[in-house]
Amino acid sequence: MELSGKTALVTGGRQGIGRTIVETFVDHGAVVHTCGRDAKTPSLPKGGHWHQTDVARVDDVAQLGALLGTLDIVVNNAGIQIEKTVTDSTDDDWDTVMGANARGVFNICREFIPRMHKGGSIINIGSISGKVADPGMALYNASKAFVHGLTRSIAVDHGPDIRCNAICPGWIETGMLEAGFNLADDPKRARSDALLRHATRRFGQPEDVAAMALWLASDASSFATGQCYTLDGGLTAASPLNPGLS
Amino acid sequence: MGALEGKTAFVTGGCGGIGAAICSRFEREGADVIAADISDNGGAGSFRQFDVTDEAGIINTFEELARNWDKLDILVNAAGIEIEETIENTTLEQWNRIFAINVTGMFLTSKYALPLLRKASGSPGGASVINFGSYDGYIADPGLAAYCATKGAVHALTKAMACDHGPEGIRVNAICPGYVDTPMLQSFFEGEGSGGDGQTLEALQQAVRDVHPMRTYGKPEDIANLVNWLASDEARYAAGQLWVIDGGLSAQVQQMKL
Repeated sequence: MELSGKTALVTGGRQGIGRTIVETFVDHGAVVHTCGRDAKTPSLPKGGHWHQTDVARVDDVAQLGALLGTLDIVVNNAGIQIEKTVTDSTDDDWDTVMGANARGVFNICREFIPRMHKGGSIINIGSISGKVADPGMALYNASKAFVHGLTRSIAVDHGPDIRCNAICPGWIETGMLEAGFNLADDPKRARSDALLRHATRRFGQPEDVAAMALWLASDASSFATGQCYTLDGGLTAASPLNPGLS
Repeated sequence: MGALEGKTAFVTGGCGGIGAAICSRFEREGADVIAADISDNGGAGSFRQFDVTDEAGIINTFEELARNWDKLDILVNAAGIEIEETIENTTLEQWNRIFAINVTGMFLTSKYALPLLRKASGSPGGASVINFGSYDGYIADPGLAAYCATKGAVHALTKAMACDHGPEGIRVNAICPGYVDTPMLQSFFEGEGSGGDGQTLEALQQAVRDVHPMRTYGKPEDIANLVNWLASDEARYAAGQLWVIDGGLSAQVQQMKL
């Protein structure tokens, strides 16, 4: 199995994409640690271990580092989305979004890079929103662009010992996406309109992201570093202006 | 005094929608302009019949030009066509034709303009070559496959030319317009590829405006403004870049109807 004998940390593995990455890594032979702000341990597959850690807090991350020791794979998945423009965003919104998505990724990388084995792989979850803007998501978009920039810096500064790449998902079918459609005037129409904008005519599944994370975690990707790989069913390959759908 | 006083400029596609606006702006800025095109529109600049696919004609043109001008400061490669088809419905003849005009024509025109461009390299801003790419060289509009491919080629050619000829004092940049109100855009709206089935032309145009952060599409003059800057000595440090100008269109993800 690709990840036999390897130990991984996946932040934010309680649900959604993170949860599926935890399951996939366990299935492929890794020992997987995951963490979140919840004290309550979620049910995890055998080989998965839960830790209560807020990645935005340096002390929490230092404690986690001391507890886990050395690692082979780090997946910075934990993230928070707040749907506001710049002028609507509060100081608290800044702390929440940038705390988890930017500071959190930095905290984890700073703590764990010295703890990673040679040949280790860091996988950051960026977003297509870090490359092109989603309306009304200013801080989220900016936080993901931070992730992309940090990804390149780590690859450059900490190669050849460690590789670092980002996955930039588009629309992935999680609870978050469904909640978005339910806010539309006509949820059914919103869903079919969104599907038509994807060359694949489907949204992504958490398994799609986990499959790429598995490849990036494995030695099969040993020449890949410093890249931000988009995984979006072709959404951003097409012009924002899709006149047929106007 | 105009920004291009004392400069000479050669604009291919100089009688087209955007090319005509460029010639007109160059003339107002004091340049001596040749509008090179297949047919005359009676617009700005002195017209020269010019076919970017005819190598012998291009050689003749620049030999003749060298007798009248001691240097060429500005070359704008704006000649281009669009084919509104998927690859499945594009014939080899159409494919070869669009590459011959949009890519090979740029190569040939630039190749034979180089000796005259080098003679302008001593000016404060150097010589300036401005190629027409497109935001379609980055992301695709549906049913424009060959066009998108030619524009991607233009972007790569622009960087290659900038690297090769920068040391000779020739700056090479590309402009990548989004939707600009030209005959080509009107043809796109009216064609099947626009997907405007069942909508009136005005409804389709309004829908297109609404998707732009600036809530409008561009005018040829907007593009000429940027061309003018890149042609001027103020842009003396600008080289090898792809300048997107699209009202913010490609800064965003596709706009879902939520």
